[in-house]
Amino acid sequence: MEYTLNVSNLKEQFYTRRGIYKALNGVDILLRKGEILGIAGESGCGKTTLGLTIIGLLPRNAVVTDGEILLDGKDLIATLREFASKEANNPNLRHSENIMKKLNKQLINVRGSRISMVFQDPMTSLNPVLRIGYQIAETLMVHQPEVLAKRRLARSKVKDDDLREALKLLENGADEQSIKAFAETRQLEGIEEQLLNIWRRNDLGIARKEKMILSLRSERLGGFDMAVLQRVVSQGRIDGWMRIPGLNRMSKAVLIKEGNTKAVELLSSLEIPNPEEVVKMYPHELSGGMRQRIIIAIALANNPELVIMDEPTSALDVTVQAQILDLLKHLKQRFNTSFILISHDLSVLAEVCDRIGIMYAGRIVEVATVDAIFNKPLHPYTTMLISAVPTIKGGEIQGIGGAVPDMRFPPSGCMFHPRCPYVMDKCRENNPQMKYVEDEHLVACYLYEGQKGEQN
Amino acid sequence: MIIAARRLTKEFEIKANSAFGKPLRLRAVDSVDIQVGEGQIVGVVGESGSGKSTLGRTLLGLLSPSAGTVLFDIPDDVLREYDGFRRDGDAKGAASIEMEYSIFKKKGEKLKKIRSGMNMVFQDPYSSLDPRMNVMSIITEPLLAMNYMKPDKAVDRCMELLEEVGLPRDFAYRYPHELSGGQKQRVALARGMATLPKFLVLDEPTSALDVSVQAQILSLLRKIREKYHIGMVIITHNIAVISYMADQVNVMYAGKIVESGPKEDVILNPVHPYTIALISAVPGKMVKPNRIILKGDTPNLINPPQGCVFHPRCPMAFGICGWTADEIATDLKYLVNDKFAGSFNDKAVVSTGAGGSLVINNASAGDEGVLERIINEEKGNMKSLTAIEGLERHGTNIELKIKGYRVPKMYNHDGRKVSCLLYAGDDNKA
Repeated sequence: MEYTLNVSNLKEQFYTRRGIYKALNGVDILLRKGEILGIAGESGCGKTTLGLTIIGLLPRNAVVTDGEILLDGKDLIATLREFASKEANNPNLRHSENIMKKLNKQLINVRGSRISMVFQDPMTSLNPVLRIGYQIAETLMVHQPEVLAKRRLARSKVKDDDLREALKLLENGADEQSIKAFAETRQLEGIEEQLLNIWRRNDLGIARKEKMILSLRSERLGGFDMAVLQRVVSQGRIDGWMRIPGLNRMSKAVLIKEGNTKAVELLSSLEIPNPEEVVKMYPHELSGGMRQRIIIAIALANNPELVIMDEPTSALDVTVQAQILDLLKHLKQRFNTSFILISHDLSVLAEVCDRIGIMYAGRIVEVATVDAIFNKPLHPYTTMLISAVPTIKGGEIQGIGGAVPDMRFPPSGCMFHPRCPYVMDKCRENNPQMKYVEDEHLVACYLYEGQKGEQN
Repeated sequence: MIIAARRLTKEFEIKANSAFGKPLRLRAVDSVDIQVGEGQIVGVVGESGSGKSTLGRTLLGLLSPSAGTVLFDIPDDVLREYDGFRRDGDAKGAASIEMEYSIFKKKGEKLKKIRSGMNMVFQDPYSSLDPRMNVMSIITEPLLAMNYMKPDKAVDRCMELLEEVGLPRDFAYRYPHELSGGQKQRVALARGMATLPKFLVLDEPTSALDVSVQAQILSLLRKIREKYHIGMVIITHNIAVISYMADQVNVMYAGKIVESGPKEDVILNPVHPYTIALISAVPGKMVKPNRIILKGDTPNLINPPQGCVFHPRCPMAFGICGWTADEIATDLKYLVNDKFAGSFNDKAVVSTGAGGSLVINNASAGDEGVLERIINEEKGNMKSLTAIEGLERHGTNIELKIKGYRVPKMYNHDGRKVSCLLYAGDDNKA
């Protein structure tokens, strides 16, 4: 089994004026390629902190005391751990700030391109003064300028005959590989993506698609733009001289423009009607559900390996939520991306996830497939959480007594023991480890100690 | 009935587009009829912007309505008499009953007396409790303000109430910031119950809370209802909460109640297309094969759609639901210029004229036949095309005739009231 992300024994604390807040207390996650993992829990259990730690967006008073986050075998937070081991007892905020800056530099090629994040509130996650097209184009330009440059160069080189031939191939049902091969033999790398994206659009008729493909050829590029694009293709990144004030605006203009055309393709693949119009709009012109789709488009723009979604539908109405969840199910099939879906609403997770992890007081206490979590929950907390959710069918609901513990003074042993109806003596002293009870079903509870006690 | 609202309408005036223009009017609640019996829990469910909170506030007289009335504590036979007067157009008889029972006709001491019989619990317990008052003063404030009790007795009552909502007595001396969300909502509930009201409006009582706490609050509400027979209106977007709590359910969309009836009928066997879509949109483990995913968003209430407000999103809409030339033109443009661009002349343009006419300019010969075929083919997907009555050729232009429309009223259907033209045949009385 291939894993995209491997988080092991992640521990994190926040130093606050009122004491040390122990936000994460040993989180383990194994995320498979192309899977949607749901994380559920009450507010204050550390769901969001976990998401932000994986992508490395931490405030300066955060200290990662232990654990690692491996993305394809590379540790993302080694810097933070080293810092914590050096200044374990008396962390200095200024030192911590420098460390965060260092981390930002290390992660610049990871965030947005390999891991991206969708936040809860679509109203505030977009920049209100920039057009939608620009906001999508920007992330493309920063992370894969060479792809944009190739696309534009191919369009200036391509001949009408080539396009007609490509159209014939597509009409005969050519697959992605053969179109790619076609582009390569004609030295038109970058055109294949545009051909396929137009061809795959569901909202246009055949006649319109043909017209669009035949009009892909654009006039020749100006000398300066040509130089910029060729340089970007040969270097694979935006060159140093393109950052010089004055020159940067001129040189990036052509990339941004190309990014806009790619944005249209991206939006149409997310089933947004009239993508040509939408890229010219500002965020305030769009409804909440539409904005959330734009944010998902930005997150997926660079084909990341992992997308973290933090309560993506909590601010939306049920009918719009249904639209977004439907979209997520389609995306899962189309893109080869793994998702971590964080939500307090178990029923949202039930609908789209492959597996669900239940989080309590900074730990994941149970991980299993959706069916197992709902039909055969093992951890007492999971059982109680499920029976607290009212359903439309009716039936009694049961609240969980007590409250989420104050994580500055966490309870001893198993953190759930003060609220647990099955509490035993050893629960008060020792913290149970995650153990496989069945294949695919991990739980951290002493009730299941004797069964198939194989450690994770 | 504890509360009965008739034709209740609330309009808000908002800033005009230009400095000299007329102010725009937003109709948040549009001729709503709703009634709550003693000890009955009535649910109001709808998406954001559907006017459910405005309805709740108007029911309590916190907002004054633009039209319609709210009758408080009215005996059932008087209400029936009142409805009779309204139906027969007897304005005098209706006015005399309104004089006696309408909360908007009362003033001074009488109003104060009514006020102590109704109360509200707000959504966000974090902002509805004054941070500078301790729990004791929060709970006793309505008791003292209404002259309901002497201060020394009020303290005892406060302790009683705290016990009632499941909080220890020493909480009386705490301040809101020392309480958790669930505890705050319990305090808010104790304040709402302080004067033993007959009627309580709960506006999203649990949406700011975790599920585990939500379950506690909901069972507490049920207990209180059983003990004191308070009539409640629960306003929420969460259908599961309504289904757990309510006896009667009202589904609101764009300021109107679209379906209203007993919970068993409305939730388990909905008939209005919006209710069907809303209930099938509730996420869950059971994948519903026939789930309806609505397109688009809730309408802008300054310019609501004509005819039935739901028709632009409705999966079951048909010819007379209120399609305008602009709505049909958008779909036709897509068909003529995108989807079937090959079948038409390149210069063919769909345009709308004054007076709601719809014309295709520069059509070549024989296009009517093609158009007719396409319209018949696409009718199933694009409901707006069902409103096209016929085609007529004038030179190079094809004019499309649009059917007239009707505004749905409340029709009785299968034990409930529903506002949809699909059920107009069952009952034409409204």
